[in-house]
Amino acid sequence: MDSLTKMIRIEIVIPGREAASVRDLITSAGATGYTSVSGVSGLGHHGPHSGALLFNDYDTLTMLITVLPPEKALALINALRQLLEGGPGVMFVADTYVSRPEYFA
Amino acid sequence: MNLEIRAAVARATRSVIPLWPLSSFIAVNPLGAQESEDFDQAATTRPRTAFLADYRSARITDRDLLVAARQRMPELAGAGSVCLGEREWTAAELVTTELVHADHHGTPPTPTGQPDLVDDLVSIWIAAYLDPHPLWPMPQRERGPWAAWTALVRYDPRLPAVARRRLRDLPGTPDAGLARALALLGVPAGDTETILRRETQRLPGWAAHIKWRSDRVGDIDVTSYLAIRLTLRWALDLPVLSSMATPQPESATVWDRAQALTAVLTDAPASGETLAQVARILGLHSPQAHAFTWQAAYEEHYRRQLLLSLDNTNTNTNTVKPSAQVVMCIDVRSEGIRRHLEADPTIETYGFAGFFGIPIRFAHYEARGSIDALPALLSARHSVTETTTDLPRSRRRTRALRLRDAFAAGVHASESVPAAPFALAETLGWFHGAGTLLRTLWPSAAHAVTRLHHRSTPALATRVTVADAFPLDERVALAETGLRMMGLDAFAPLIVLAAHGSTSSNNMYQSALDCGACGGNPGAANARAAAANFNDPEVRRLLADRGFSIPDTSYFVAAEHNTMSDRIDIVDQHLIPDSHTTAVQNFRGGQSVAADLLVSERAAQLPGARRHSLTRVRQRAHDWAEVYPELGLAGNSAMIIGPRDMTRGVDLQRRVFLHSYRPECDPDGSALETIMTAPLVVAQWINHQYYFSAVDQDRWGAGTKTVHNAIGTMGVLSGQTGDLQAGLPLQSIAVGDRALHEPLRLSVLIQAPLDRIGTIISRNQVLRHLFDNNWITLTARNDQTSAWFRYSAYGWTSASHLDTTP
Repeated sequence: MDSLTKMIRIEIVIPGREAASVRDLITSAGATGYTSVSGVSGLGHHGPHSGALLFNDYDTLTMLITVLPPEKALALINALRQLLEGGPGVMFVADTYVSRPEYFA
Repeated sequence: MNLEIRAAVARATRSVIPLWPLSSFIAVNPLGAQESEDFDQAATTRPRTAFLADYRSARITDRDLLVAARQRMPELAGAGSVCLGEREWTAAELVTTELVHADHHGTPPTPTGQPDLVDDLVSIWIAAYLDPHPLWPMPQRERGPWAAWTALVRYDPRLPAVARRRLRDLPGTPDAGLARALALLGVPAGDTETILRRETQRLPGWAAHIKWRSDRVGDIDVTSYLAIRLTLRWALDLPVLSSMATPQPESATVWDRAQALTAVLTDAPASGETLAQVARILGLHSPQAHAFTWQAAYEEHYRRQLLLSLDNTNTNTNTVKPSAQVVMCIDVRSEGIRRHLEADPTIETYGFAGFFGIPIRFAHYEARGSIDALPALLSARHSVTETTTDLPRSRRRTRALRLRDAFAAGVHASESVPAAPFALAETLGWFHGAGTLLRTLWPSAAHAVTRLHHRSTPALATRVTVADAFPLDERVALAETGLRMMGLDAFAPLIVLAAHGSTSSNNMYQSALDCGACGGNPGAANARAAAANFNDPEVRRLLADRGFSIPDTSYFVAAEHNTMSDRIDIVDQHLIPDSHTTAVQNFRGGQSVAADLLVSERAAQLPGARRHSLTRVRQRAHDWAEVYPELGLAGNSAMIIGPRDMTRGVDLQRRVFLHSYRPECDPDGSALETIMTAPLVVAQWINHQYYFSAVDQDRWGAGTKTVHNAIGTMGVLSGQTGDLQAGLPLQSIAVGDRALHEPLRLSVLIQAPLDRIGTIISRNQVLRHLFDNNWITLTARNDQTSAWFRYSAYGWTSASHLDTTP
């Protein structure tokens, strides 16, 4: 791990119709990128979610993953907490390590 | 801090449903963001007087009220009965009697807010910024709305001098501007979201369009809009908006209600015990619930008639081998033409979402722009265009089109030069004047001239490039999905994929009459792409491996149903093989008869068309004064998902979305899940747009077309300024005071195994919200011979039980 650089990984699972707000916050926070996975299925606070919506991106769940340096992460985490409060969606925050830190700074 | 303000903006605008521009007007449920709440809590209904008028005319009966009350309040079944006067009254009867005799409608008053100076100024600035074809482009527009506005606003003569001075030194970004305005206005951090929400609600049309634009175009966002609003509010020394909460009407106590009801039912004074019994029963049905019980009864009446009409269908109607199968969009207007086409027993019809399972961004041959020909639920991922082998003709056509465009652009540009109108009137005025006279007095002749004009550009034989846009395995998957969804597993020699579009003149809501499944565009491009896909030998070879053997003798042709003339035009005629030309000719003859019959039928309902000949009804498409070119989807009220045998031979009066489905073609239920999570959702959007435009035209409609002013193709204003109008215009739902549309929630009827339907609902939140929260209703049966069951959040209930007359 010595050769790797510590970063913060944030994952958000949110209805597709609200993903734009999350993407907006991620880019506003200075993250250099994100990964978006649509059609996420599973069981959550509001019951089961099928990921098999073939002709409907709007009501499917989307998972957004971003990695950014700790000094940028806190503001984003706070804003995302505020965004998710009282509405659908969950956020996972974890330490992660990357081999090319310049990609994420 | 700025990031948290962005989060507050996102939360404050969560309930704002994007408003599509007029060029691709998509029906949406304006309360779509509130589907996680019960319909009773989020929505509203017609006034009590309207329901009472229907009650007096027997459009709503006592039986309807009883069924609705029992369905909405199952606890009434165990609430006992009360002896009043000469008879015993059940709990349900007491509740429904109160509905008729007492005014406890309980609909909250519509929140109203008088426009203020900020609203007026913001509308003008935002319109200037977003207008796609302004005569004078807004300076510095390319820097974004906040930067352009901050650069110019200090020179706005509508502002007092003190406000202009305050606006001289503003932050460089909208986020910082919004933060500064909130601080200067003294908004506590905890109130930020509430204040932002109130600001957003001031001009809901503009806010909704900006939300759409932010996602689809990206040249403006809600943060910039709110930053401008709040900054203006501070500069003008206006206070932040006070609470918009509207006072709720005071309800009578349950004791008052019991006394009033008892007095209606008996002349004798009731004992305290009897009054207590009545009060206990009426307590189960709060005044706030009254309006929605009326609504449920209103819908129950329609639904029962519909179910009864389906019970009379003959299941053994079509034993003749079909010569043609016609697949049409689920749009309610297709029901009429399908019914008339089926007068020929050798024609089978199917219903399928009008993009035919091929979601594309489509550009015509050498066109400058493209259209997103796909449902609004999807994002465009595949671009399809046309190709031609006739290069010399295509060069001539492109040259002619460019010449025509250049001439039109030149005339338009010269109109914007200050001195030019005088010269223009001298040189081109005669032509314009003659054209105007022709269009006013002889619309058909004007249309003929236009057609002649278009003939100067030679028609081009092209084919769509679907094979270049989609990999083979994806095309096969789409084809298989389409066949399973519509239950098509035996193939006639000719299979017509009939998309639809509409023709009208001077109609800013033209795209609302086109295909919603194709993004508010005519659907021929999708039909062409789908037909090309189904005819591809490679696709057919791989489909055979998946259980669908399309014979070599079967050929798919693309077509477009014009919902104004009801004619079905075959497209890509140059691709039709000789082996099928006779079949196509026969189909043409058949559709012509069906079209005439349907236009004649529609003329009985179309305002002003009753005494017109068929020709004159069709000519209305070219009349620029005609506000009712056709009725669109007015009257839509139900969606039926099942085989055509369920409905064949029944006149559904062009009110029902028909999606074909046969469980035997869908072993794992995935096709039904796709139908329920996509076409059904779109039908619900359409239904709710009509519903809300009809129940409160001022709040959710667009007002009368006659005073609309267009801002490019973006939207309309009612008059010269103010909010962007959302929803449907008055002419889509009424003629003066006479309703064209009955505001009914969508009654969904499905013929499929109930356990399959239940499983699909349980694993899809969108469906749980819609059905469990009563935004739409679901009635289903296992097969053609089974009884109907009604779905509720508590499971399936026998529909016949609900219909039992006491």
